[in-house]
Amino acid sequence: MTNEGSFAALLPLVIFMAVMVGISIFVRHQQAGKNFVGNYFIGNRELGGFVLAMTTVATYSSVSSFVGGPGMAFQIGFGWIYMAVVQVTAIFLVLGIFGKRVALLARKFNAVTVVDIIRARFNSDLLAAISAFVIVLFFCGTMTAQFVGGAKLFSAVTGYSYETGLILFGLVVVIYTSIGGFRAVALTDTCCALIMMVGIVLLLHYVLQAGGGYEQIMTSIENNHPEMLEPFSFGNMPWTIYFTQWLLVGICTIALPQSVVRGISYKNTQGLHSAMLIGTVVVGFMNIGINFTGILAHGVLTGSPADYGGVDNIIPTTIVTVMPKELVGLAIIGPLAASISTISGLLIVASSAIIKDVYLHYKEKNNQPVESSKLRILSMATTAIIGGAVFFIALTPPSLIWLINMFAFGGLETAFFWTLLLGLFWKKANKTGALFSMIGGTIIYCATQAAGFKILNLHQITIGITVSLILFLIGSYFGKSSNEKTLEKFFPN
Amino acid sequence: MAKILKFKPKLTESEKFSLVRSEAIYTGLALAGLIIFWLIAGFGLSNVDVKIFHLPLWAIMGSIGVWLFAIFASYILSHKLFKDIDLGGDENDK
Repeated sequence: MTNEGSFAALLPLVIFMAVMVGISIFVRHQQAGKNFVGNYFIGNRELGGFVLAMTTVATYSSVSSFVGGPGMAFQIGFGWIYMAVVQVTAIFLVLGIFGKRVALLARKFNAVTVVDIIRARFNSDLLAAISAFVIVLFFCGTMTAQFVGGAKLFSAVTGYSYETGLILFGLVVVIYTSIGGFRAVALTDTCCALIMMVGIVLLLHYVLQAGGGYEQIMTSIENNHPEMLEPFSFGNMPWTIYFTQWLLVGICTIALPQSVVRGISYKNTQGLHSAMLIGTVVVGFMNIGINFTGILAHGVLTGSPADYGGVDNIIPTTIVTVMPKELVGLAIIGPLAASISTISGLLIVASSAIIKDVYLHYKEKNNQPVESSKLRILSMATTAIIGGAVFFIALTPPSLIWLINMFAFGGLETAFFWTLLLGLFWKKANKTGALFSMIGGTIIYCATQAAGFKILNLHQITIGITVSLILFLIGSYFGKSSNEKTLEKFFPN
Repeated sequence: MAKILKFKPKLTESEKFSLVRSEAIYTGLALAGLIIFWLIAGFGLSNVDVKIFHLPLWAIMGSIGVWLFAIFASYILSHKLFKDIDLGGDENDK
């Protein structure tokens, strides 16, 4: 299946990664002398609409969107696209519900992170510390999945070793994120999102060409795989998957800290409005485009997914089969860009959770000023250390990596969904409710995952999110109300 | 070329928060509308024996149709229902 380590397959990726590092160094140079924390963790609230849209989409779209997803579409058919298309809600929901509220509050409290806002709303250092812990914990899981998925894809397509791939794109993303901070992440994310779209178009073109054209491929699917044209795929796509995916990759994604933090980072409301529209166009194009390509791969790959080593190998095999050798390196940048952009987006938020939410808050509380130069070194070092730690975990990849990815996604949603939604829109939400919800919901979610316990065969997110809501309401009913001063700031009359 | 400046009404802080709350509710309603459209476009049309470009109607409406609906909803939200406001702070509206 591989290209047996040809340098031609490697060159476009090397150039792409060099450009990413170049952008990061340029951003660092441009931001010299400005407020470090604001610059490094939220890009000094200067993002315009296009960049805001692209960075939100790119962070949201992971390598599994480009590898596992279309592989499943190859197996299931159009039911998979019907399920995946619920992700078109992701951008307009998070920006429409939280975008302006978070921006107003962030400016009022000079907040740089989502945890800053949670701390201010519930007046609780304990809740803030738990939030930071949950973010770092689950982000490390997600980042490991991105590292492993990207490196495996790289190895399968280029013929170079898994470790080479990990060093080439994994280490470089850690370096450029550490150097450039959020602003660099946003700009490189934009490049990544654009290259993802180019990659989809390129692959679709060559799949159609190699399969003998659209009509021939579709006629073959109609005759040989009629189940692919049914929404339930003759039982392969039960309603429970549709239901849980609406929660997991649709509605509940509004509370992902890596998405909500984008609400702190934009310049003005015109930018936000543009980003809602642009983001919805782009996320739909990517989702439908890559999954449709996965289905059309039937024109090229005539066996079952098992014949190619499972659904995760469908897209790598398709790339190698249909693309000219000199373009393979270009085609692989798309999926790797999805991986890179997710890692960088998570890395900077995880770093801010440690430096801003824990370390800096502790210092400020104890009236111990921190020099700007020290803060700069600490922030960069923390970003590098977290990235480095995940890199080393990925060197010996754990099994069931895709499950770890989805586990982390559901954990973040369970922890933050009600805390953010009710905390920012319901006056009666209080510290006790938020603590009960975040701690209890997350523990129950993790326990049901570990035990493999399900209700009606639904993903454990349904249990986590329900328990989290019940605990929030119980805590808010019995707990002490938030003080008037706080309520006046969050809900001015 | 002269930059066209949109008129931004000066709102009090409570008016801004009230507006933002309304916009969040509009977004929630758009989600509800999208879910209903998604159900009708996909499952609702799955028994309709019509094909376009070799694809059953439900597959087109349940994918591209839903996407177009989401774009339309985003447009209505962001360009018709949402208002431009001053966000406050030093960096506002550079």
